[in-house]
Amino acid sequence: MTTVETVTPTSAAKRMKTPNDSPLKIWFLAPLAIWLTVLFLLPLIFLLWIGFWRVENFQTIPDFSLGNYAEIFSSFFSKSRYGLALIQSLWVAITTAFFATILSYMVALSIAFAVPARWQRLALLFAIAPFWSSYVLRLYSWQTILSRNGVINSVLKQFGLSDYRIDVIYTQIATRIGLIHYLAPILIVILYVSILAIDKVLIEAARELGCTRWQAFTRVILPLSRFGLMTAASFAVIVSLGDALSGNLLGGGAGTSILGKLPTYASMIMSDYSSSTNLPRTSALATILIVVMVLALAAGFVAADRARRRTS
Amino acid sequence: MTAISKANPWIFLGRLWLGIAYAFMFLPLVVLVLFSFQKNRFPGFPLQGFTLQWYDKLFSDGTLLNALGNTMIVSPAAATIATVIAFFAAYAFNRFAFRGKTVFLALVTLPILIPPLILGVGFLGLLARIHLSGTLFAVFLTHVVLITAPALAIIQLRLAQMPASLEEAAWDLGATEWQAVTKVVLPFALPGIFGAWLLAFTFSFDEFIIAWFVSGFQPTLPVAIYSVLVAAIDPSLNAIGTIVFGISCLVLIGLELVLLPLLVGRSKNQS
Amino acid sequence: MAAAMTTTTPDLELLSITKQFDTFTAVDSINLKVGRGEFVAIMGPSGCGKTTLLRILAGLETASSGQLYIRGKDVSDVPVNQRSTRLVWQNYALFPHLDVAGNIAFGLTLKPHDKAVVAGKVKAMAELVGLSDLMGRKISQLSGGQKQRVALARALVTEPEILLLDEPLSALDAHLRIRMQGELRRIQQQLGMAFIYVTHNQVEAFSMADRVVVMNKGRIEQIDAPEEMYARPKTEFVARFVGTNNLFAGRIQEVGQGHVIVHCAHGQLVVSTDDPPPIGASVFVVVQADKLTPAPTGVAGENRLDATLRGREYAGSHNIYLLDLVDGTEVKMTVPQVLPVEINQSATAWFSPANASLIRGAA
Repeated sequence: MTTVETVTPTSAAKRMKTPNDSPLKIWFLAPLAIWLTVLFLLPLIFLLWIGFWRVENFQTIPDFSLGNYAEIFSSFFSKSRYGLALIQSLWVAITTAFFATILSYMVALSIAFAVPARWQRLALLFAIAPFWSSYVLRLYSWQTILSRNGVINSVLKQFGLSDYRIDVIYTQIATRIGLIHYLAPILIVILYVSILAIDKVLIEAARELGCTRWQAFTRVILPLSRFGLMTAASFAVIVSLGDALSGNLLGGGAGTSILGKLPTYASMIMSDYSSSTNLPRTSALATILIVVMVLALAAGFVAADRARRRTS
Repeated sequence: MTAISKANPWIFLGRLWLGIAYAFMFLPLVVLVLFSFQKNRFPGFPLQGFTLQWYDKLFSDGTLLNALGNTMIVSPAAATIATVIAFFAAYAFNRFAFRGKTVFLALVTLPILIPPLILGVGFLGLLARIHLSGTLFAVFLTHVVLITAPALAIIQLRLAQMPASLEEAAWDLGATEWQAVTKVVLPFALPGIFGAWLLAFTFSFDEFIIAWFVSGFQPTLPVAIYSVLVAAIDPSLNAIGTIVFGISCLVLIGLELVLLPLLVGRSKNQS
Repeated sequence: MAAAMTTTTPDLELLSITKQFDTFTAVDSINLKVGRGEFVAIMGPSGCGKTTLLRILAGLETASSGQLYIRGKDVSDVPVNQRSTRLVWQNYALFPHLDVAGNIAFGLTLKPHDKAVVAGKVKAMAELVGLSDLMGRKISQLSGGQKQRVALARALVTEPEILLLDEPLSALDAHLRIRMQGELRRIQQQLGMAFIYVTHNQVEAFSMADRVVVMNKGRIEQIDAPEEMYARPKTEFVARFVGTNNLFAGRIQEVGQGHVIVHCAHGQLVVSTDDPPPIGASVFVVVQADKLTPAPTGVAGENRLDATLRGREYAGSHNIYLLDLVDGTEVKMTVPQVLPVEINQSATAWFSPANASLIRGAA
């Protein structure tokens, strides 16, 4: 018998030799690759670049000047207070993420352990339902609920409890309420899925070994959901840092916090652009936000990775 | 979980907390719908009686309805294109091994990780340069970028459930690759595609900040609502909110039927 | 079968087919001819390369080297969708969105077609495999056996030249499996089509196939008719893999008239043979478990094995005894009766020189 070392390819065989070898690989990925390049990478690069342009007579002029950055950093903590807004943003974002994650975790735990298995899907669906209504409208609704003569205070008045009226509108507390309301559905799904992934046998084993329910939680469930918690919290920080809506509508632009009456950085970018339409400076401000976010993400990633290594 | 005895106080606490959480989550929606039918100029108690005047105002004014119309053009179109792109890409990611796959996948998810605020500024910079900013088309283009990643994730989830032998069987029976995609893979992925479309539609429908930057004089609904809102409290917003909530409920029902079974994986009628 | 192969072109011919995955050789220079309408079973442990080989035949994998002929035509470079082979999958791979009729018709509807012709073919095929009453059913409503029939019909209706089957019955329960074996054989003979049947199940392979191919580590160990393979395994691997054989390693000590004497660790064995290996050659003496009997009492003759009883397995019609020889060699003996021996007591076994065979051992 003769041995033929390599099969000589004929023209007909160019189609598909193995399932991994097909022209579809390129054709099917091309639309995504093109769209991403033209409408995502390009704008992003443009954003970084435009930060170095300058404005003359209301015309943006391509340039390589550090003028925008010099202007921003010259008054970073004073007149325009970009730096203070950044600190306000970080403070609001981190506290929001903290509360949103804990409250959502409690909801996810309740669904996973206090709801009969066959009702859990429905319970989850209800928890995430508000996510599917418009965010702006929900903020509007919160505005009417929290405002000085709004729903809550009018109810308190009806019951003669005017002394206990709440006064949170146009503070960063209201900003956080709006953000938590926006974040909770997403966080609940992330955390519920990570709780589902915990092997129930481990919990039963812990109970068999004489753990109380509280001990089973602190020694088995909590450590095993740490990765989910980290993911949820980093996600919450990122979204909160980038969100301007809640800060504008509920925080009133420059809402009060323990740091003082300061806008969040995202709000500031928005108002800066709408008042000046100075795109180069806005781009420079956005670039600074990107840097802060990358740092925050890196910190979150390191923390999550450490948590995962500890659990596995 | 079912083995936990009835005397467990944690169950009671858990359910109590769920009740509080649901109240918190639904409060804005209830308020929105309730006061769309009340005469109160400023939502609050006591209620002043049933009226449809806000709907009247909404329909006679037209600004918000126009914006809703804009959104109902942009979002379905963006969701459709994003879903088509996502399906092809998900198919390729599912079937092929190639170098740089993880990098590519990471790149796809980046648009959801980067705050839309930053993307909005970037899009505006580029689109203004090519004189496309300030149009609905600009919103469409940018929304597709944003919503392709979630659509891709959902379709990938579905395709991962498809045994490779299914497509191989189609080839073996003589199908060309394209026939195998249209006659076997596509029907199989259909629930995932449907769920992906709904999710993409929702993201686009609700997206504010990018649209704010690039939509200009053709605002989408969230942008129009925002500009009404910063001016004054207007109960017409309750009316439009109730209408939007109705649309969301339809999406949600579709979602319960399609998306959650994929995510939580407890459907009885899975392949 | 040999006569058939010389008169007509074989249905299938493999010329040193090799498949290399990075550093791992899954299929190693396989040569095989399958005659017209022959039923060939490929058998081997998991990971032996049998499924990869089948996928190469179907066109789902490309051989790294070697050539493949179907009815004399070189199809090495023909893509999967243009080959005249059809594959039946272990998990059936039925299309869940189509009903039974839709699944069977799938292969016929891919090119421009006459609907009436397709319907006629589908109907005839459904009758052949016994599915006529289920044509409108969804795939999810079918039992395992019914799914198997749909998979078979879907492949056969396209009139392939060769049908490839990848462990098609392994998901069925024992009873159904035996019934389907009979049906597969009936359909195969009725159509006169070559079947290549991959399985790890000996019973399936031996009861259906005209010839059995045993593969190990990507290579063919032996190709033979079932009876021949069972009676005369040619390699140590086949001897251990097929049937219940006892192997005694040793060296040829003496060559006599029509027999040899083999020196083993536990003593000498006499084996009848017409083709004696040279003196000193390393061999295995192979004795099937049911060819062993307790030694006749008091006889200290040839091929008597003194051993200790280690265990007994009751298998209904017979008993399987596990014995340890003095050197620790394990021996299995299958006898109908119950022996009057307790565990850990000494026992004996014996076989006739005519019932043993020799295979060459490693040098």
